[in-house]
Amino acid sequence: MNILISGGCKNGKTGFAQSVAVKLSPDGNRIYVATMIPYDEEDRKRIDLHIADRADLGFSTLETGRNISSCLNAGKNNTFLVDSVTALLLNEMFPETHSGEADENAAQRCVDGLLKITREAENAVFVTDYIYSDAVRYDSFTENYRKSLAYIDRNLAAACDTVIELCAGRVIFHKGGIDL
Amino acid sequence: MDFIIGGAYQGKLDYAVKKHALSSQDIYTCNENEHVVFGKRCINAIQEFTLYCVHNSLDAVSVFKANKEKWQNSVLICEDIFCGVVPLGADMRAWREMTGRLCAYLSEKAGSVERLFCGLEQKLK
Repeated sequence: MNILISGGCKNGKTGFAQSVAVKLSPDGNRIYVATMIPYDEEDRKRIDLHIADRADLGFSTLETGRNISSCLNAGKNNTFLVDSVTALLLNEMFPETHSGEADENAAQRCVDGLLKITREAENAVFVTDYIYSDAVRYDSFTENYRKSLAYIDRNLAAACDTVIELCAGRVIFHKGGIDL
Repeated sequence: MDFIIGGAYQGKLDYAVKKHALSSQDIYTCNENEHVVFGKRCINAIQEFTLYCVHNSLDAVSVFKANKEKWQNSVLICEDIFCGVVPLGADMRAWREMTGRLCAYLSEKAGSVERLFCGLEQKLK
């Protein structure tokens, strides 16, 4: 079972995704795949809050900021919670030895790796962000980022069994369904 | 009239092309430097026309009302740019508000309203 969860920022997507991943893995084989690479103290504090939040849920944590399908090396019989696609794309656009230019193959690399997870993992839950409905003319870098994330989202939505939008903590099913 | 809304890059036009078997000659895509031209089977990116209206002190809802017979059998597509934070710039604020009002008008007149989300359609009407 593969599930995509999207929605606006601070809608409770991570908390909801965690409870879904727990339900999908009664055997306890669940891995939280953390894609955010901390760059400063603010990032570290956010990460610490997330770690404390899932402390009692039985996840082991894999920090995988790039090359996302490498998480499968931990064993395909796991339920993987990938949080988040948004951070993964940012990391892939700017490889460690980057020149300041965004890597134009980043979005396709993310799609290939994420779809490999949908094909091979026991279960996977993907968290992404909905950033497409505001009245702003963005700079070309930000617009390219939005376009790339949307490309990944559409590919993931097509591959997943269930697609959920969280709105103010409420669940909207766009595809499939799960018992909540 | 069939009305399709959704965020940027959500697959609105792809969906319209498939569902209504549109060719490229059937599609008019609005831009912010030009008054909308009615008459084609599909009018795409209507939010660009509302920006043209803001720049040129026109009211997009009035323009659509006055030309109803020219689009009432078309497929209309608009980006829902009105969900984010109220922008600081006066033009962007006016753009956001006019697009919201136009979408409300078009939704009311439409035979069907669909929202595209990550490439998936959601029936609203």
